[in-house]
Amino acid sequence: MANLSLHINDQAVGPVEIAPEVTMIEFLHEYLNLTGTKFGCGIGVCHACVIIVENDDGTLATERSCISNALMFNGKRVRTIEGHATRNQNDQVIALHPAQQAFIEHFAFQCGWCTPGFLNETIALVDRLKRNPVPKASLETVIEEALSEHICRCTGYVKYYEAIKDLIESTEHTTI
Amino acid sequence: MHEPPFDPSRRALIKQCVIGGVAVYSAPLLLMANPGAKNAAPGGAPVGWRNLDESVAPGFRYDAVAKVCGEKIFSRDYRARDMFGWPNQQHYGLVLRAPRADAVYEGLDLGDLSDEIKPYRVVSAEDLGSHKLHLPPYYGDHMLVKPGAPPDFMGHPVAILLFDDFVKYKRAKSDLQFNPSALRFGRSVTPTYTRKDPYASWRIIREQGASPGAPDQYSTLKDGLFFPDIVNHRPQWNASPDKNGNTAERGMYYANKLREDIASGNDYVLKQRYQTQSVEPMSMEPEAFNGWLDSGNATLHVVICSQSPQDFHRQAGGMLAKSPLTTGIKNLVVHTPYIGGGFGGKDHTIFPYYGVLASLFSEAPIRVANDRFQQFQSGLKRHPFIMDNQLAIDRESLKITGLVSDMTLDGGGRVNFSPSVTSVGATAIQSIYYLPRSDVRATCYPSDMPTAGSMRGYGTLQTMAAMEMMINQSAADLNVDTFKLRRVNAMRPGQPNAQGALPNGDVRYVEMLDVAEQHPIWQQREGNKKKFEQAHPGWRYGVGFGIASKDYGTGAQAPSALVEVTPEGRIHVKNCSVEMGTGTETSQATLVARYLGKRADTVSMAETQLFDAMELLETDDPYLMSQETQDKHSKDPHWTPVIAMASSASQSAYYQSHATAQAARILFEQALFPAAVAILKEHYFNSAYAVPDFDDISLASWSQGGLTIAGNIPLALERIVARAREMDLPLGVMVHTFNRWAWAEAEFVINGNNCNYPVDAIALKYAKGTQHNLNKFNFQVANRLSVNYPRVALNNAFVTYYTPCATLAEIAVNAGDGTVKVLRAHTWLEPGTVHVEKLVEGQIEGGLAMGVGHALHEYLPSGNEGAGDGTWNLNRYQVPLAKHVGVWNIKHTLIPPSASTDPAKGIAEVVMIPIVSALVEAIYQATGKRFYHLPVSAEDIMEAFQ
Repeated sequence: MANLSLHINDQAVGPVEIAPEVTMIEFLHEYLNLTGTKFGCGIGVCHACVIIVENDDGTLATERSCISNALMFNGKRVRTIEGHATRNQNDQVIALHPAQQAFIEHFAFQCGWCTPGFLNETIALVDRLKRNPVPKASLETVIEEALSEHICRCTGYVKYYEAIKDLIESTEHTTI
Repeated sequence: MHEPPFDPSRRALIKQCVIGGVAVYSAPLLLMANPGAKNAAPGGAPVGWRNLDESVAPGFRYDAVAKVCGEKIFSRDYRARDMFGWPNQQHYGLVLRAPRADAVYEGLDLGDLSDEIKPYRVVSAEDLGSHKLHLPPYYGDHMLVKPGAPPDFMGHPVAILLFDDFVKYKRAKSDLQFNPSALRFGRSVTPTYTRKDPYASWRIIREQGASPGAPDQYSTLKDGLFFPDIVNHRPQWNASPDKNGNTAERGMYYANKLREDIASGNDYVLKQRYQTQSVEPMSMEPEAFNGWLDSGNATLHVVICSQSPQDFHRQAGGMLAKSPLTTGIKNLVVHTPYIGGGFGGKDHTIFPYYGVLASLFSEAPIRVANDRFQQFQSGLKRHPFIMDNQLAIDRESLKITGLVSDMTLDGGGRVNFSPSVTSVGATAIQSIYYLPRSDVRATCYPSDMPTAGSMRGYGTLQTMAAMEMMINQSAADLNVDTFKLRRVNAMRPGQPNAQGALPNGDVRYVEMLDVAEQHPIWQQREGNKKKFEQAHPGWRYGVGFGIASKDYGTGAQAPSALVEVTPEGRIHVKNCSVEMGTGTETSQATLVARYLGKRADTVSMAETQLFDAMELLETDDPYLMSQETQDKHSKDPHWTPVIAMASSASQSAYYQSHATAQAARILFEQALFPAAVAILKEHYFNSAYAVPDFDDISLASWSQGGLTIAGNIPLALERIVARAREMDLPLGVMVHTFNRWAWAEAEFVINGNNCNYPVDAIALKYAKGTQHNLNKFNFQVANRLSVNYPRVALNNAFVTYYTPCATLAEIAVNAGDGTVKVLRAHTWLEPGTVHVEKLVEGQIEGGLAMGVGHALHEYLPSGNEGAGDGTWNLNRYQVPLAKHVGVWNIKHTLIPPSASTDPAKGIAEVVMIPIVSALVEAIYQATGKRFYHLPVSAEDIMEAFQ
């Protein structure tokens, strides 16, 4: 057994004693009851389980929580889908993250199971583009590359991609 | 923790039925104390989901905020600690399944597990025997494989292992899941499926009338059905052909004559075998279950992941009622949260019953959840088809003169929806074309593959795509324009389908063909091919077209709905469909605005139990009952052919919408409109001196300000509701409806007046309930004076509702590796009246992607390498990615309804069909090679190049 301490959605978690083979998604689900991160394939292919790691330099990285050992995240700051919206004291959402807003306004998802992965990847992409803007003309290619591995069975991807493109175009300093 | 006694009323549970002494209750989604669910519909509708301006579309989906915030709303999300009244402790169940079916199973070997991770209980076939536990009859028997017997199919469960701790479960699963020694097998045997009879065998024969407009000489609608003898597990159509004989003999006469004429005639005949594959629904949420047997309160609580909760209520109740082990269970409480995708894979799934079984032996709440390998191994699949087709066409007129098809389907290890998928596939092969003569035989056989069910497409995808491939090839062989050939043969209004039944509604296939033909993808294809291939050396360009007309419905649809208005003017809609992601919830909320002036404030789904308030009863199989039986039972005002229906996307758009709209309509006509008229009379008209001229309901309409009637001032909903309450008019209306290719219609007494509605039961809710004859559910069941159900003979029509769809696909084939790149796709859909356009668009785009997968990527083999071996996952099974579907270039055109009164039609499934044949044809145009099997893989194309 080993101890795990980290920050999830700005909240300190741990130390929690866990078995060393527990994956991050299992830790979120079975230890913390944070089930917003979704299990899809369990082998890192579908990307439904993608979460965000906030690096020390302020950049964002994404990780597939179904194939990542929970202990890999010891000492790190992690953000999951539960952590993007602004909530009041009663835990009710009072403001959505711009990416969440773009997704709902575009009717981007249907069943919603793959939404956490798409959302986290999008938030990390926008963050990256803010630091390294790309030509507007290359936006579709940039989106395709960033989201290319994410599987959605319901939508045909169109409204996800349109939402992401619209989000980037309406976010300052992401394109040149 | 302290366990409160079971108290259904306190928990707002709704009793659905009593099966063998077990009272089945349904718990609405999010009833449980769940702090994370505050933003989820339907517990509290998210602010702003619907625009205040009812004339524009909703701002976002009803469930949107919950889904982008990661709320606990899906079946798989729930743990014991989330469930009100359950103990916090969570146990875990591991279902072990046989990876082979060609040898005798000799038992479990858990020797590889160390003592600390051994299960505390193994549930085996022995337990089933000793406790007389059985699957519900629908699923057959052999719930678990008995040691000493072979599994019936690959993936057949052999045992459920119970663990009291997650890490123990995880470690044991890791040791056992792919461990060939965990399950011991002995001698090889001939698989058991070889000794089983077919799941279904149908024959659909039609011979048109001798002259135009004359009655059919033979059709299933006119003459009925006949069935084969089963000899050595194979169908034999032994009836002697006789033009003047009985149904079978006459059928055989016309069938044989058609086959002889095709063989000996001078028509062009395309004779070809077509083959489709086994496909995994791949809903993103693998199936899961949580359950707790509260022995102290004789109650089993379950959280299921199902498209058909109503079916589960009945089947599980029956399962519990029949075992001595479970006779102490008096209550079954079923929670039905959202599901993460369905596509038919969670309709009548067997999975929850293994959860129920685990719950009976577990010492605490137990969670049974498939991982993706297990889902591939055990989940329902799409039926593979083999079709030997013959299409005859007159060379001069280009009219189809006859179609013969011999179909065999693989139904997998258990019979599920195979009989109806077989019949629907058989009837669908005609697609949009008028067939003057046809003979379609279709037989579904058992196999050792995972069970095939009602996956999206339902047989029609397989057979209609083949028909389109035949049309494309025939046009080429006959050297005629492919649109021309289609136009000549497209059904016109008034022409019957291959069952001899007239399709409902207008038939606009020619209109769709005309529009599609003018699209630049088609018109410019030759020039574009030259340009593209010059600009992209190594790539081959092609364009293909496909069209289809998908039936929707089952011939026994029975949606219910409740629409209520509160004193504050809030509108609540409750219905019996399940939200699978298609947006049913949003569309149901939207469609009531036509009658009530605004969208619903809340929508609650999967609420079938509520509808007990109509006090309905059913007696017979709706497909098998005689007309005499129906006539006799129809005299009982409580009788209906079917009480509840399963949910699917294509059915909610039309059928559920009818029920919801009728409930809203009755509420308007029986309460809001009379109340509004009363207000106008009392305050805005010289009623003492003249007869009012504004009591014509056709003159009423909603505007921003409220309800206006014939130029009078708009009345706000709240004001009308207040007056309706004073008048004691019904402000809650519940309806049950029935459709057998037409709606049942009945005459009721409401407010002392006789009135007719296309529903077969109505229950009313009044503010002053004590003045009415309320039942125990606090509803007044409206007296049904008479009812007209569609005649049972319409069962032989099989289908009469259709949604047409066409697709042009522009592709490029890489000559170096055989990959197909979709450059552009344009789809035309005639969806009828659209409730929420964004939702329809999403269905079009998603359907197209699924069709691309079926045509090019998705494949599960048969035999020992099939999905039942437990090693399949997304690393081997290619679900289409964005790059596979041409994501930026998926376009569509919605053919507008003929009139605003057109109903909404089934939508999602049909879009996946024409893209399949369009892609296969485009590949032919690019490579010069025709393919007759699916998927057409890159390897297939490379072989063709060589």
